Amino acid sequence: MNNTMQPLSGDRSQYLTIALTKGRLADQTMALLEKAGYYCEELENKKSRKLVFTNEEQKLRFFLSKGPDVPTYVEYGAADIGVTGSDIIIEENRRVYEVLDLEFGKCTMCVAGPESARELLKHHERIRVASKYPGIARDYFYNRKHQTVDIIKLNGSVELGPIVELADVIVDIVETGSTLKANRLKVLEEVCPISARMIVNQVSMTMKAQRIREVISRVREVVNSEKHENQL
Amino acid sequence: MSTHTPERYHDLLHTPDGVRDIYGKENARKQKVLSRVLEAMHLYGYEDLQTPAFEYFDVFSREIGTTPSRDLYKFFDADGNTLTLRPDFTPPVARCVAKYFMDETEPLRFCYQGSAFVNTSAFQGKRSESTQTGVELINDPSVYADAEMIALLVECLQKAGLSDFQISIGNVEYFKGVCQAAGLDQDTESSLRDYISGKNYFAAEDLLKSRGMKAAQRDEFLRITDFMDDRDALKKVREATGNERSRKAIDRLIDLCRVIEAYGYGRYISFDLTLLSKYHYYTGVIFKGYTYGTGEAIATGGRYDGLLAHFGKDAPSIGFMIQIDALLEAMQRQKIEIPVDTHTEKIEYTEESYDACLEKAIRLRKEGIRTLLVPGGDR
Repeated sequence: MNNTMQPLSGDRSQYLTIALTKGRLADQTMALLEKAGYYCEELENKKSRKLVFTNEEQKLRFFLSKGPDVPTYVEYGAADIGVTGSDIIIEENRRVYEVLDLEFGKCTMCVAGPESARELLKHHERIRVASKYPGIARDYFYNRKHQTVDIIKLNGSVELGPIVELADVIVDIVETGSTLKANRLKVLEEVCPISARMIVNQVSMTMKAQRIREVISRVREVVNSEKHENQL
Repeated sequence: MSTHTPERYHDLLHTPDGVRDIYGKENARKQKVLSRVLEAMHLYGYEDLQTPAFEYFDVFSREIGTTPSRDLYKFFDADGNTLTLRPDFTPPVARCVAKYFMDETEPLRFCYQGSAFVNTSAFQGKRSESTQTGVELINDPSVYADAEMIALLVECLQKAGLSDFQISIGNVEYFKGVCQAAGLDQDTESSLRDYISGKNYFAAEDLLKSRGMKAAQRDEFLRITDFMDDRDALKKVREATGNERSRKAIDRLIDLCRVIEAYGYGRYISFDLTLLSKYHYYTGVIFKGYTYGTGEAIATGGRYDGLLAHFGKDAPSIGFMIQIDALLEAMQRQKIEIPVDTHTEKIEYTEESYDACLEKAIRLRKEGIRTLLVPGGDR
């Protein structure tokens, strides 16, 4: 365990609840939190069937959920803090404070499709767009490109859309581009960069101000020092 | 006898998204909380004021700085004028006061209650019609008016039954002062306002970087993000503030803090300079009330010294509004009991005993006892 950990200050009578995004993002988040002095041994037991993991000593509670649900838990105050991708935060458009860019889980929101679709994006003609992110897709085409589009919401394997001719292009996150390549699709336009973000419930920010601000500033320090190291 | 199957009527039973029926116990609790809050307002000498549920569109126009046009419910009258259901009460109250108290220079105190309407069907689970109650104090620019607002809000929430809550106080002038000193254009200021009020400081920093602001200046700017729970913290920020307008804003908060402490409510307040409102009519002190159990602020308010001028009356004013629905939701989650008196006497009558039962019912009702007269006996 981390011996350099300093004791937490502030009101300890209440738990701080943190919602994590299931999968790799959760592991990366926990690694980051550990460097900032917060940990949860219960979470390290991968076989556990528990839904909520507690660190009694630091009065922390963690739970894992699907990415799109993280902003929902945080908005309603079921979690004080959440960590998820900015793609989800933009798409869900919940009333939460977006306080930190954690600088991992980086990828790009892109418009992708077969090379032949490139031409379709140059005019204002109506095209069909398949996406898991109908909100982001609409905002991009309506407000930034001023192009009228039909948006088809899909729930996974969006790359299939252009292949089976359900849609002309897709709007999706691209990390390495290998899935696109395997399906002979190309990134046609970049919408915005994506990375993991820490979000905070508006009420908790005031009601548990001291503890939450401590978490934010400790994590920010770690993120900044890592960023600095990478730049060297 | 109906010739249709029950399923036929199912579509008729639904209410539109964002509105709902409130009945039974829940409604009794709501009325109780409302009356408690209004009682607190009346104790401070606020007079009830009623404005219409809809107004001409111009009362809520962009220049006034309220809810964006696309979030308003709009319709037409017989002459083709655009009408709007009120999204909040402050502009209508300002209009009303400008109309009937044009030459009054003494402070005026009004309270109101009713439904406000915001067309937010695009977002899941948000109320389109909400019950709001609030106060407006007009013709008083003093720090004592600011403090009266905070103190009254504390007492309204206490009276409602809440004990664990915080009022976060900021001053829009601080942000405006820093923007002015940095010479930011309106678009940048507007984006910055969105980022800062969303506590999205890294986005704010990136924006300032992209506008070519130097690191030292950026740091001063982002000092806005410091959290202040007392007067000493405010004083520290004041010392580090470079421009006069922002310094004055902090001075006002320090002063306000002193008066609130005189009321004895120091423990309910904290300061947050990033507090900015989506309502652009706020000009000075601005505040929000928070409690556990609800994801949104239960109360919002602030100073709007320029709003009445839109209606031809130059009158510095301040007010606040309590979201009754959010308050009730929070109280329910916090398991705070709202005792409601629902005891009702029930008298069952038969054809033969009706006259005697009626006589008894009349007597009980005269005594102020809730009495039900229902058919009983052999039926």
